Amino acid sequence: MASRSMWRSLHYSAKRRVVSPAQYRCFSCSLRAQDQGKTDSEKMTHFGFTNVPESQKESLVGAVFSSVASSYDTMNDLMSLGIHRLWKDHFVRTLNPGSPLARRHNETEGQGWNILDIAGGTGDVAFRMLDHATNVNHDRQTRVTIADINPDMLAEGKKRSIATPYYNTGRLSFMEANAQTMPSIPDNSVDLYTVVFGIRNFTDKQAALNEAFRVLKPGGVFACMEFSKVNNDLFNAVYKRWSFSAIPLIGQVVAGDRDSYQYLVESIEKFPSQEEFRAMIHKAGFMIPGRGYEDLTGGIAAIHKGVKPLA
Amino acid sequence: MGAVILARPGRSGVLSSLQKAATASSRTQCRQNHFHPPVQYRKQELPFRAAPTRSCRLYHSQFHPRAPTHEYTNSQTTILSAALEHIPSHGFTLEALTLGARDAGFLDVSVQLLPRGEFDLILFWLASRRGLLRAKVEENQFESLRSVSSVEAKTKLLILERLKMNQDIAHKWQDALALMSLPSNIPLSLSELHALSSDILTLAGDSAVDTAWYTNRLGVAAVYASAELVMTSQKPHADFAAIEAFVQRRFEDRTALAEKITGFKQYLGFVGSTAIGLGRSWGLKI
Repeated sequence: MASRSMWRSLHYSAKRRVVSPAQYRCFSCSLRAQDQGKTDSEKMTHFGFTNVPESQKESLVGAVFSSVASSYDTMNDLMSLGIHRLWKDHFVRTLNPGSPLARRHNETEGQGWNILDIAGGTGDVAFRMLDHATNVNHDRQTRVTIADINPDMLAEGKKRSIATPYYNTGRLSFMEANAQTMPSIPDNSVDLYTVVFGIRNFTDKQAALNEAFRVLKPGGVFACMEFSKVNNDLFNAVYKRWSFSAIPLIGQVVAGDRDSYQYLVESIEKFPSQEEFRAMIHKAGFMIPGRGYEDLTGGIAAIHKGVKPLA
Repeated sequence: MGAVILARPGRSGVLSSLQKAATASSRTQCRQNHFHPPVQYRKQELPFRAAPTRSCRLYHSQFHPRAPTHEYTNSQTTILSAALEHIPSHGFTLEALTLGARDAGFLDVSVQLLPRGEFDLILFWLASRRGLLRAKVEENQFESLRSVSSVEAKTKLLILERLKMNQDIAHKWQDALALMSLPSNIPLSLSELHALSSDILTLAGDSAVDTAWYTNRLGVAAVYASAELVMTSQKPHADFAAIEAFVQRRFEDRTALAEKITGFKQYLGFVGSTAIGLGRSWGLKI
């Protein structure tokens, strides 16, 4: 979600006093990381436009997000002009979570959907999915597990969940996990795996896709919304101007943190195109329905889907 | 989509030049389709096939292998075929699709395999019924079709046969028509209607190569679509004889209209030649 990462990065300033400053000055971190003796054999990955060793990216991304937490709705709305809410609503509506039909008597076990929302710390998408299941499909069994690598983001989600009707029910749970290896989740146990504006920050995206394939039930769906490539040259010029000039500036003025916003736009630029990412999903073993992706707002974001085959 | 050219090469000057033009344009625009194996053998190699797409083949002949009636993948076909069973009770809805997915061993969420949702079910219904009709004729299971000889009689029989397939779902068909008439769905719906009328005429042995190619297809499409609409307003399990009579009347209308047009053309020719003769007799240099 445009919003989530922006949100996280934006939140940075608010918590700055709590966390030690060295942790989230991401640029200084990355510079220091490069200075520190890294072995030649170590694989490199990108962190925005800088290259860092793979072992470092996790902590660097963590540093960007760990300070971010609550007052970012304003910042997200400012950066995406409010469109991120429409994208998330559309995402949930097309997935249509929840079973509108009662199971037949011979299928007693497995009521409702088991949804895993990866990188869903603040719960934006999780609450929307539960609302949709409850209010549209009248399904009170569907449950969501919110997994995030970052305990600060999870804490923010827990705080927000108090205001929802799902607080302290079996339908909503939180889990601190790295999406690349989730040993606590058994094979073939999840109906729907969602990752919204999160996969961009993963160190090894293919490993996360393989792990998604493992935990999904046969027939289960992998759904991902992420920033993507704008397909119209003219619109792209305007969009690039906005993202590289306006967004860091808004971040500096409103949240007092330019570097995190610089990371945000650079990581968007580095993310693979629709076709490349679709090929990665296919490589993990998923079936690609139709064209495989849906562009939103001219390709600023795209929804990718994959279905795990039965056999 | 260009015209079907059934004439053999070099039959006449006009035809062969027409054919050359058609093959030349198809060569430039769809080279890959010409020199590659037929679609059904390539299916596995193309994981990202958007179903169903319109083929870009401009040149058609009886020597080309027929394209399959739909381009859904195996898993999609499994879910859709199972969902067809639930149409009489649930209509063309997401519920039918969900039940179909469950029957096929998939999960509720697996209907995400079909990006167009209910509309995919409608398209699959149309395409699979068209495939059934085609298979029935090509495998010689259609006895009554061989007893008649004229193209028109065969066309009528084929239209009725296709309409009979709609009997079980006629009470749900209005919902489908409503979905098909949404602006974003109109192009695919019309191309499916065209494919049906084209198939019916090809199976009936129509070999028109002039403007009649268009008018024939338009005529069949109009008769079929109107009969389909009449069926939706009937009570469930109503007598099919009423529909047969309706189709018969539409064919009579068509013949009557064709006769009127021919008559009008004759009349114009007669009046014209009379006028010219009259002018000449008055000494005009015509």
